[in-house]
Amino acid sequence: MGYLFIAPYVVLFVAFVLVPVVWGFFISLHNWHVLGEQKPFVGFANYRALLRDDLFGIALINTGYFALLTVLPGNAVSLLLALGLNARIRGEDVYKAIFYLPVILSVAVVAIIWRWMYSTEFGLLNYYLKALWHFLHLPDEFQPVPWLNSPQTAMPSLALMSIWWGAGGNMLIYLAGLRGIPEEYYEAARIDGAGTWGRFWHITLPLLKPSLLFCLVMSLIGSSQVFGQSYILTGGGPHYSTLTVVLYMYQTGFSLYRMGYACAVAYVMFVIVLGLTLLQFRLLSTRREE
Amino acid sequence: MHHVVGGFTLRSIIFLCLVSLLLVSCSPGKHSGNVASAEIRFWNGFTGPDGATMEKIVKQFERETGIRVKMQIIPWSTYYDKLVLSLAYGGAPDVFICHANRIAEFARYGVFRPLDDLIEADKGFTPSDFLPNIWKAGQYEGKQVGLPLDCHPQGLYYNLRLFREAGIVDAQGNPKPPATWEEFLDAARRLTKDKDGDGRPDQWGFAFTWLRTNWITFISQHGGSILSPDLKRATLAEPPAVRATQQMCDIISRYRVAPKPEGFDSWMGFRQGRVAMAIEGIYMLSSVEEQKGLEYAGAPVPSFGPRRAVWGGSHMLCTPKNLSPERAQLVWRFMRYLSDHSLDWAEGGQIPVRRSLLSQPRFRRMRVQYAFAQQLPYVVFEPASHKATEIMPFYDAAIEAALLGIKSPQDALNEAARRIQQVLDRP
Repeated sequence: MGYLFIAPYVVLFVAFVLVPVVWGFFISLHNWHVLGEQKPFVGFANYRALLRDDLFGIALINTGYFALLTVLPGNAVSLLLALGLNARIRGEDVYKAIFYLPVILSVAVVAIIWRWMYSTEFGLLNYYLKALWHFLHLPDEFQPVPWLNSPQTAMPSLALMSIWWGAGGNMLIYLAGLRGIPEEYYEAARIDGAGTWGRFWHITLPLLKPSLLFCLVMSLIGSSQVFGQSYILTGGGPHYSTLTVVLYMYQTGFSLYRMGYACAVAYVMFVIVLGLTLLQFRLLSTRREE
Repeated sequence: MHHVVGGFTLRSIIFLCLVSLLLVSCSPGKHSGNVASAEIRFWNGFTGPDGATMEKIVKQFERETGIRVKMQIIPWSTYYDKLVLSLAYGGAPDVFICHANRIAEFARYGVFRPLDDLIEADKGFTPSDFLPNIWKAGQYEGKQVGLPLDCHPQGLYYNLRLFREAGIVDAQGNPKPPATWEEFLDAARRLTKDKDGDGRPDQWGFAFTWLRTNWITFISQHGGSILSPDLKRATLAEPPAVRATQQMCDIISRYRVAPKPEGFDSWMGFRQGRVAMAIEGIYMLSSVEEQKGLEYAGAPVPSFGPRRAVWGGSHMLCTPKNLSPERAQLVWRFMRYLSDHSLDWAEGGQIPVRRSLLSQPRFRRMRVQYAFAQQLPYVVFEPASHKATEIMPFYDAAIEAALLGIKSPQDALNEAARRIQQVLDRP
């Protein structure tokens, strides 16, 4: 009877996760064009070609750069929001809802909203920057920022948007973590003469470690799979500056129909994410031993 | 307790049934075998007003022949994904549109049924009526795999009111489109205006719209190309193409008569009268027609270089392999009908490719189509390589980098040529 209960999940898991995972590895060992009648076995040739493919290298570096720009700053924003909400202010639920609202949007919606904000000529961001420029009576003519159109600013722009999009999710986890810290500790610290900073550094942060680890590692894994932002806003440009690993995999597989190579990219990505996940387990288990 | 468990069991059984139903319905069926024999399944990506035009022609075909056509319009952005999967795993339509620049990519895998025997058997059909360069674009390794329905070259769209205001007129006082590089530059300079005096023009003489196709027009006019004629060598970093790319950069940063292509919707700019000239495909005609208050006309693209050339595309009518002989006859009848009626099709912003249609007075009355059609003899398609789609992103990136000033034209094209050569050399 128990098997019947788990059957729906098992069926879906096998059909849509397990089989594709194994099948994907099988495909990655072949020269597999969707239309090809013969799909010759090539062993690890796709993986060897990947090592020499400098675009794949660029994609890896870009993905790492995106992680660098989003993981720590994004979590700092989430933590700040949570700390603010933890002060038990009036209308807390309203703020919670406002900060959480972007999280429920799909990446496509978020990207389309931000495309308008980032527009060089007509964008809201440049409009306010220009107003600020004139307000401060700065010398020289205001030069609009080409947010998504310059290799220097494109990736930071995507990162900024992603932080806005995701900050509310981690905020809730941090808030739950903060609420779980017993008030007595703060009371004791206050009696011993600890200031606001001291209380944060010596009580809040150590006791928030489980939430911190969880959020940081999940953000790291999430950001290593970044796709929709550059797919919709920049298409990987300008000049490959926002080409990420998953976008590269998608383009190889679904615009060029070179499934073997795309699966090899996917598997290299899989190994990287697996490594990050193992890291997560390690960090979380040391906590349990303490 | 037992009742509860029993209830759950029933529910899970129902759920399982639903899941299996879902799985069954997702598995690819053999559609083509089951449909009534006198029905033709036709796929295309005509989501705009062109879809309505096509619908009309198809309805007319149904009335005249009694053959039913099931037309499915799929947005171009996902069209080829769906088409490729249906060709690979079943469910392919009987007739479908394939752009000329993707013929080689698919033909290499033998997905098309060559049309040569059908053409030969049809005594009333004369291939010599077609313009030879466009007819050839439907061939792969000597076999005719696509029947050209139309051609859509670029041309010069220009704003009549702005031309009159700037005094760019002929002896009769009619706006005069530029024909040479000197005339173009002179017109663009006179049409670029900074009306509010903030140091940034708010009316531009020219704007690059679709960078890729604009660039192909420029390099072809300078005698450059993306690949060598044997399709084995990347030639886009050679002097002619570099010279042409430099000329495009000069239009933006040296002569300052066109905006940098960043965050500026050039085509919208033309529609709203903030851009006086743009080089775009004939298929954009319906978008300027619906713009209220815009006075525009079309002309052949000016000569930027020593050769006559202009980028163009073409919709090819294709059919998948493994059709039964009777079905192939039916399919041919439909394709032939669409080609015979391609003057109706041209109304929506296309150009027919048969001389007998091009010379008709009715076509002469389609002003913009007629102006753009003068360029048909020297239309340039993307390279007919089966790797055309794969190398495209590399020259896209190079053009963008050059025009935005991220890299010099030579550096940007060198990098693209290196990557393209890698793709060409791969077996």
